[in-house]
Amino acid sequence: MTDQTNDAPQASHGWASPEFQNRLSRRRRSEAILKGVGLGAILFAFLMLGILLWTLISGGTQAFRQTHITLDVPISAELVDAEDPSRGNYRNVMNEAMQVTFPDAEEGDLRALSGIVSNAAQFEVRDRIVADPSLIGQTITIKVPVSDPYDQLNKGNVDTESDETMRRLNDAAIGWFQQLQDEGRISKPINWALITNADSRFPELAGLKGAIIGSFYALLVCFLISFPLGIGAAIYLEEFAPKNRLSDVIEVNINNLAAVPSVVFGLLALAVFLGWFGMPRSAPLVGGMTLALMTMPTIIIATRAALKAVPPSIREAALGVGASKQQVVFGHVLPLAMPGILTGTIIGLAQALGETAPLLLIGMNAFVTAAPSTPLDAATALPTQIFIWADSPERGFVSRTSAAILVLLGFLVMMNALAIFLRNRFERRW
Amino acid sequence: MYDINRAESAVTQQDIKISARNVQVYYGDTHAIKDVNVEILDKTVTAFIGPSGCGKSTFLRCINRMNDSIDIARIEGQIRLDGQDIYDRKVDPVQLRARVGMVFQKPNPFPKSIYDNVAYGPKIHGLARNKAELDEIVEKSLRGSALWNEVKDRLLEPGTGLSGGQQQRLCIARAVATAPEVLLMDEPCSALDPIATGQVEELIEQLRSQFSVVIVTHSMQQAARVSQKTAFFHLGNLVEYGETDDIFTKPQDSRTESYISGRIG
Repeated sequence: MTDQTNDAPQASHGWASPEFQNRLSRRRRSEAILKGVGLGAILFAFLMLGILLWTLISGGTQAFRQTHITLDVPISAELVDAEDPSRGNYRNVMNEAMQVTFPDAEEGDLRALSGIVSNAAQFEVRDRIVADPSLIGQTITIKVPVSDPYDQLNKGNVDTESDETMRRLNDAAIGWFQQLQDEGRISKPINWALITNADSRFPELAGLKGAIIGSFYALLVCFLISFPLGIGAAIYLEEFAPKNRLSDVIEVNINNLAAVPSVVFGLLALAVFLGWFGMPRSAPLVGGMTLALMTMPTIIIATRAALKAVPPSIREAALGVGASKQQVVFGHVLPLAMPGILTGTIIGLAQALGETAPLLLIGMNAFVTAAPSTPLDAATALPTQIFIWADSPERGFVSRTSAAILVLLGFLVMMNALAIFLRNRFERRW
Repeated sequence: MYDINRAESAVTQQDIKISARNVQVYYGDTHAIKDVNVEILDKTVTAFIGPSGCGKSTFLRCINRMNDSIDIARIEGQIRLDGQDIYDRKVDPVQLRARVGMVFQKPNPFPKSIYDNVAYGPKIHGLARNKAELDEIVEKSLRGSALWNEVKDRLLEPGTGLSGGQQQRLCIARAVATAPEVLLMDEPCSALDPIATGQVEELIEQLRSQFSVVIVTHSMQQAARVSQKTAFFHLGNLVEYGETDDIFTKPQDSRTESYISGRIG
């Protein structure tokens, strides 16, 4: 206090001298550069995001509509037995329908003509007849998807001016389609099949139902495993574990685990879950367990950070009135940390939703045409479905791949929105 | 020099509540409390004064074993509460803290309603058999901490919405609700304005009729105002302990004299 001296630094130059002015402008310049670089980085990121979304949307929107054809189908009693309508010859029923639609077509064209309609048409007719056998002998009207080449033609993806041998549809086929269009039989409604159908060999029938349900089951299993285990591990490590070398080693390893490439978890699951435990292949249950391995470190880290962020004064207050450690943690610390924990968990699950590599290794990229009814049935997940479609040669799958990516992105956005909502909803001040 | 409105010096009861024998505290390699012997009387306000880092708060936190939660802290010696060694293996620190309540430097109400703040202690210790009893404890505690009239109409509003001084009195009510035998206060007024400080000090004087109060304070005026006994800590040693009047008017030790006259600290 008393040893205060008077040799505080004295400015030897005036603040207005040219040297100081130069210094000042240098500082201002470097600050402006820093700001500019930061802004540039953000703009670049937005540009890239914009390009990505634009590509997906421009490529994917076509798949949200599907060309349909309206046909009059005569059901002759010769082809369909009224006693057992489910075993009728519906392929020939469809051929007859095409004959009726194109009365002047030659016998040889019939095969090509029936190719206009999707393969699913005969099954739709069958279902209608089985439901109401009194229709036999009458003519019914159906509205079914056209097959992929004609769908592409209708969406303008076929260059009709190009060499006839270079495209899947010859001039005659294009002429027939034109005729159908002129008759007003062609329409392009919203493609609900994209979410109500499971996968199919035929693009016009392929949908995401199996993948969405598969992803849902996998995420449910992932959540049920990783959320309680992750929170439990985090609470133990943060609140109860002795601070020694062993807990340091565990902490480092958990942090490393969060950075392990996901394909490694897939190999582990293949060896342990499928190999040792003999669990079913391609099952969302196994997929969920594999994803849980990946998600758990993320949840542990997020939970520990959230627990750490609870002010120590709250712990002291609770300890001070005689709460036990367990009462402090579950009564005070955990509720306050919950928004952070939930946010971390949802981010972890969103990451798991987009994960492909581990699912490929346990066979969730199989071709499955039925949506799973339990987590033990074979199924695909959204990212693996995208992977399968991206690999398929048919033109129709190109836009469907983009559409599937948009659906996946939609789910991700929804999950992130939920995370933000939960954080704001449960955030409390202290 | 200290012609302030001093608390009544007549100590109604001279029973020894807490007695510390040769207490040593180590933080890792640091010897934070050196050989402290002190006897704290029942129904008395005892002030711990001393410069920053002298160990007064550390010693205070030994009395309800709050240092247990610090891994590197090690305590030797004996602290007896009513003759029972509180560091004995048979003593449960959780129950001890209900008997020895604590109020902290910064008001730290739970982010819950005013009612729940006060009711929390009685609830976890099972002090109330039903809602009516709990209501009674809450009212009594809030009246006891001179807060009832201010909050009786908004018991269900969050405790964090009160002013700083009200929050600190709420924390006192929370500590009082478990009917403690000793109340430890760690610089309870350092975050409060003078008016709130005055209210808390008045409250301390009232609380003395029910139990022993130990208060750590940086303000010597406050120690002189509220306490009957004062202990002066310096560099981990208990330098001097005696009647507050004696400490402030005729200190025995030169370090005490230097501190109260503002030369060290």
